Amino acid sequence: MTSSGRTIVAWLLGFSSATAAAFATHDGATERPSMPTAQHATFNRDIAPIFFRYCAPCHRPDEAGPFPLLTYRDAKAHARQIAAVVSKRFMPPWLPEPQELRFADELRLSDEQIALIQKWAEQGAVEGVPADLPAAPQFVPGWQIGRPDEIIEAAKPYTLPAGGSDMYWNFIFRTPVDRTRWLRAIEIRPGDKRVVHHANILVDRNQSARRMEAEPRAGFPGMELKIESETFDPDSHFFFWKPGTVPRPEPEGMSVRLDKDTDLVLNIHLQPSGKAEKIHPNLGLYFTDKPATHFPVLLQLENDRQLDIPPDEKHFLVTDEFTLPVDVDLLAIYPHAHYLGKDLQALATLPDGSAKTLIHIPQWNLNWQAVYRYADPVSLPKGTTISMRYTYDNSSENLANPNNPPRRVVAGNRSSDEMAHLWLQVLPRASSDTAFDPRMLLQETMARHNLEKDPADFEAHYNLAAMLQTRGAEAEAIQNFELAVRLRPQDATANNALGASLLAAGRIGEAIPYLHAALRAQPDNFDAHYNLASALVSQDRFLEAIEHYRAAIRLHPDDANAEANLGGALAETGKLSEAKLHLQRALRIDPHHQLALENLEQINRDPKNLQQ
Amino acid sequence: MRRRSLTLRQLLSFLLSIAAAAPLLGALPSSPAAQKTALHLDGTPADPFLAASGKPVVLIFVHTDCPISNRYAPLIQRIGSEYGAKIGLWLVYPNKTSTAEKIRQHDREYGYKLAALRDPQHALVTQAQVQVTPEAAVFDANRHLLYHGRIDDLYQDFGRARPAATTHELDDAIQAALSGKTPPPNTPGVGCYIADLE
Repeated sequence: MTSSGRTIVAWLLGFSSATAAAFATHDGATERPSMPTAQHATFNRDIAPIFFRYCAPCHRPDEAGPFPLLTYRDAKAHARQIAAVVSKRFMPPWLPEPQELRFADELRLSDEQIALIQKWAEQGAVEGVPADLPAAPQFVPGWQIGRPDEIIEAAKPYTLPAGGSDMYWNFIFRTPVDRTRWLRAIEIRPGDKRVVHHANILVDRNQSARRMEAEPRAGFPGMELKIESETFDPDSHFFFWKPGTVPRPEPEGMSVRLDKDTDLVLNIHLQPSGKAEKIHPNLGLYFTDKPATHFPVLLQLENDRQLDIPPDEKHFLVTDEFTLPVDVDLLAIYPHAHYLGKDLQALATLPDGSAKTLIHIPQWNLNWQAVYRYADPVSLPKGTTISMRYTYDNSSENLANPNNPPRRVVAGNRSSDEMAHLWLQVLPRASSDTAFDPRMLLQETMARHNLEKDPADFEAHYNLAAMLQTRGAEAEAIQNFELAVRLRPQDATANNALGASLLAAGRIGEAIPYLHAALRAQPDNFDAHYNLASALVSQDRFLEAIEHYRAAIRLHPDDANAEANLGGALAETGKLSEAKLHLQRALRIDPHHQLALENLEQINRDPKNLQQ
Repeated sequence: MRRRSLTLRQLLSFLLSIAAAAPLLGALPSSPAAQKTALHLDGTPADPFLAASGKPVVLIFVHTDCPISNRYAPLIQRIGSEYGAKIGLWLVYPNKTSTAEKIRQHDREYGYKLAALRDPQHALVTQAQVQVTPEAAVFDANRHLLYHGRIDDLYQDFGRARPAATTHELDDAIQAALSGKTPPPNTPGVGCYIADLE
């Protein structure tokens, strides 16, 4: 004990020298008074309320904490450790500074609480009188919000090596729905909680992540994912797990759409523990029969293009600013950088000039990244400017620097690359004009903002075009699809979209080459086959059209539109019995399919005329 | 009184250098009631210095529920395999409540194939002047403490780890013990306080 001077200094800092001297000359273990005096902090009275609330959610069996903190014995056996880690604010893990806008489930200890814990440890970790001990915290065993309606397991576990640096792994969960369902919650069980730092679910409506798997269901490595969405899909939710997370059902009216054939991709950040660990996550799905009535949007501020950080640069600044075109309620915020991130800050400047700190993380630590939900929605009126202000430290003083010695770092998906992202979950205020969808204006404004930052932003051109197309701004839509195709001439999705928009504008002859280009890039593109067939029908090129409808049906055998149109095209070429077959198929898929009903009726009524 | 003199001699042995230490330890009182000692997992008293018979002694202090200590398991095992019979290497568990069974299970889980000792009375902890798990102590063949402290610089503080270590104090200290070169300066480790493990 007397030889542990270094240890003592670590937790005595900030205390009066009289106390320190008294302690240094006494052996706390043998000379501790048997009964606490009023000056003693006691576990039962002072410490247990703090530990039960802030520590026990993780420090209990089967949770992320390496040891339990549920009893006096548990606490005493780690008293000095606890005093040291709380005084450095390593525990409990909570990165944001205190601010006016409060977060839900804040895990930040006050300076007074920390001082109390230090005093308790320094005084010999006294237990106190039993009457002072509050009731032990109650935790729900197993699934946290009741038995899920469906539990899906990762197809194949991932084995984390015993040693090495951090690892990122992705599991693709096939979802068990045969029609569109609505989710009120997803509980993530990430596997061994002691090695999983955080986990994130991305909704993959196009099964696009499957292309990353070396073999089906194997999963794949990678820190950052890009999930393609070919449909305008603005309803957006965070599904995030970090140690101690209790899943919360989505707010009333904000259920999450889950379509047939949608994959859920679970991205997990792992840290080797010293022994090989088998990671076998599962997800609990909780359904509701109430479809969403409120649609939040995820807004992304970013400026990856500014990221070009010279070696040894200690204070590299990256900023972005976005002005809201509509009134919104801000629900949650998710700042994201990699290992060079240092000081991450987001501000809102309201139209009246007042400024609010949305979040400020003065000492970024990727290991404890999190989605932060506001205790109450933050009202941000139209005209509010949200600014992101991140600094990066690419010197060797930044211990987390992945390069030794430091080298130039630019944006990228690997953990040795950097990112400057800020995600905001906002709920646009309902408009009295029911025809106006504020989500569309938000997305359109965001796409235009991204094009200001980077005129060669393929996705921004594509997304802007898709939204313009939706609101009937045909000419500008075509213009932006053209710019997207010019940026990526080999992109099947963009070529198809340009072809489809030209087709919709009646410019059939111009559409056809782009649809062919889409199929050259991706021969199994259902949409391009279908659109090309429709274009060919418009030019009375039925035989060619029939081939593409058939190809489309081979890809999607249960598509009523393709069957109905194939039936129509066959009828045009006089193949009436085969035409009837496909029209009937269309009606088996959708008994109310208007086109199929009408065409079938016409064939039945007037077969001879048609045959000529 | 004898107890007190033991403590003093142990302290002295840290302060005196080289050859003086061995005779002092050799003259320790032999009464079992008075003697603090490390234990083999079967409960019998252990003297790693006697067992090493003239080779450098390396003690690595670890703890079953310390995440930082556990994270070092692959490296510690690798060092053990690398130096093999050239040194006497022991894992030392300073926690009173770590039973032999718990330690055996822990060693199996983490792939340790090294000899393990229990040090519930902190006899070796005191001798090695270690403060946290994981820390190491390297003694030369004359039982002189050449180095005590961190294994490497992977951690600078709680939660502040490098992607990979850039200094390798334990390895350097073992090399020094084998070659007679200057050991690295003692550098404290980051981890779990042994003083908590009373």
